[in-house]
Amino acid sequence: MPLTNAPTLATSRLILRSPEARDIEPMIAFLLDQDRAAGFGAAPNRGEAWRWFALNVGHWHIHGYGYFAIEIKDTGDTAGICGIWNPEGWPEPEIGWVVFDGFEGRGIAHEAAQRVRRYAYGDLGLTTLTSNIVPGNVRSIALAERLGAWFEREYDNVHMGRDRLYRHPGPDMADGRDDDGSVEAYA
Amino acid sequence: MPTQNIPTLETRRLVLRGPEAADYPNFKATFSSYRSRFMGGPLNAYEAWMLYAAEIGHWNIRGYGMWMIHDKDTDETYGMAGGWFPAAWPERELAWIIWPDKAGHGYALEATHAARRYFYEDLGWDGAVSYIDPKNLDSIRLAERLGAEKDHAAATIDGNDAVYRHPSPDTLKSGQLSDGIELEINHYCDPLFKPKGFAID
Repeated sequence: MPLTNAPTLATSRLILRSPEARDIEPMIAFLLDQDRAAGFGAAPNRGEAWRWFALNVGHWHIHGYGYFAIEIKDTGDTAGICGIWNPEGWPEPEIGWVVFDGFEGRGIAHEAAQRVRRYAYGDLGLTTLTSNIVPGNVRSIALAERLGAWFEREYDNVHMGRDRLYRHPGPDMADGRDDDGSVEAYA
Repeated sequence: MPTQNIPTLETRRLVLRGPEAADYPNFKATFSSYRSRFMGGPLNAYEAWMLYAAEIGHWNIRGYGMWMIHDKDTDETYGMAGGWFPAAWPERELAWIIWPDKAGHGYALEATHAARRYFYEDLGWDGAVSYIDPKNLDSIRLAERLGAEKDHAAATIDGNDAVYRHPSPDTLKSGQLSDGIELEINHYCDPLFKPKGFAID
């Protein structure tokens, strides 16, 4: 059962949907993995990890947006999260992504982020988007750049400390790309 | 976007409703203050917002949670009370917090008494505990006024809290406990004795 009023979005391989109770354990497993979650903000214990899951649900209810669960269309597996994040103290709304263990290397985050960005511009009416990435998170920086984002500045994040802010192309520039990331729409 | 399906409870002076975004500033003020020292605070703005979001998420995940306590007539908020059961908690907790400038009027007693009755009678809980910092004398006193007793054998959250076990539904229904609580609440609503001043010596 959906825990929020999040819409359901689709791409060729993925369904982006509201967090549900069945996503709790995969999310907790990710947050407790101190290495994999270091760039996102790892949880020191199960209690804190559960609380993060709960506050993402609350984020949806307060802002009307938050992190979607990424579901693989064919298998129904929860492969990660992707969404728009803007808690108090954040510099501005950001698009974020996490891919769980075992789902990397397939372009899942890229596919999800493109769809979420279109939703943020088209449905939420945002006019600009950022991604906050800790220095050294080279995989996320590479994805941000692949999405057309560029490094704007470094700042001190209230949760993550020293942080790099990447600016995404705006609604006009980000449009015209298919979910596969190709530029054939221009052809 | 309101949280779904949160029941509203009414008492003599109060109405308990789900936490809404509009109620956040008072929550933030309390949790950024020294008032929250026994509840993990004081928190910075980011931490307070994240905790408030978790309060709302808790309702959706568990189907119960912490209500916002409103004045029935003016709608102003006085604090929060209800059930709290995040992953690290050994048992379901009855919890409360009253904004610092609204303490001393019996609001926590009235709200928690109603919340406990709802959990027992409508959700079928067979009991509950309150995890209280041993230095939080006001909350220990409230737990005792609600009929809870210290349970030395019960598991704690992290070893730094005392466990107060609430009376079971049957115990609460039998005997004079509920009558006494309601008498005390009624006295807050309609004081039998209103001092016009205090003796100065």
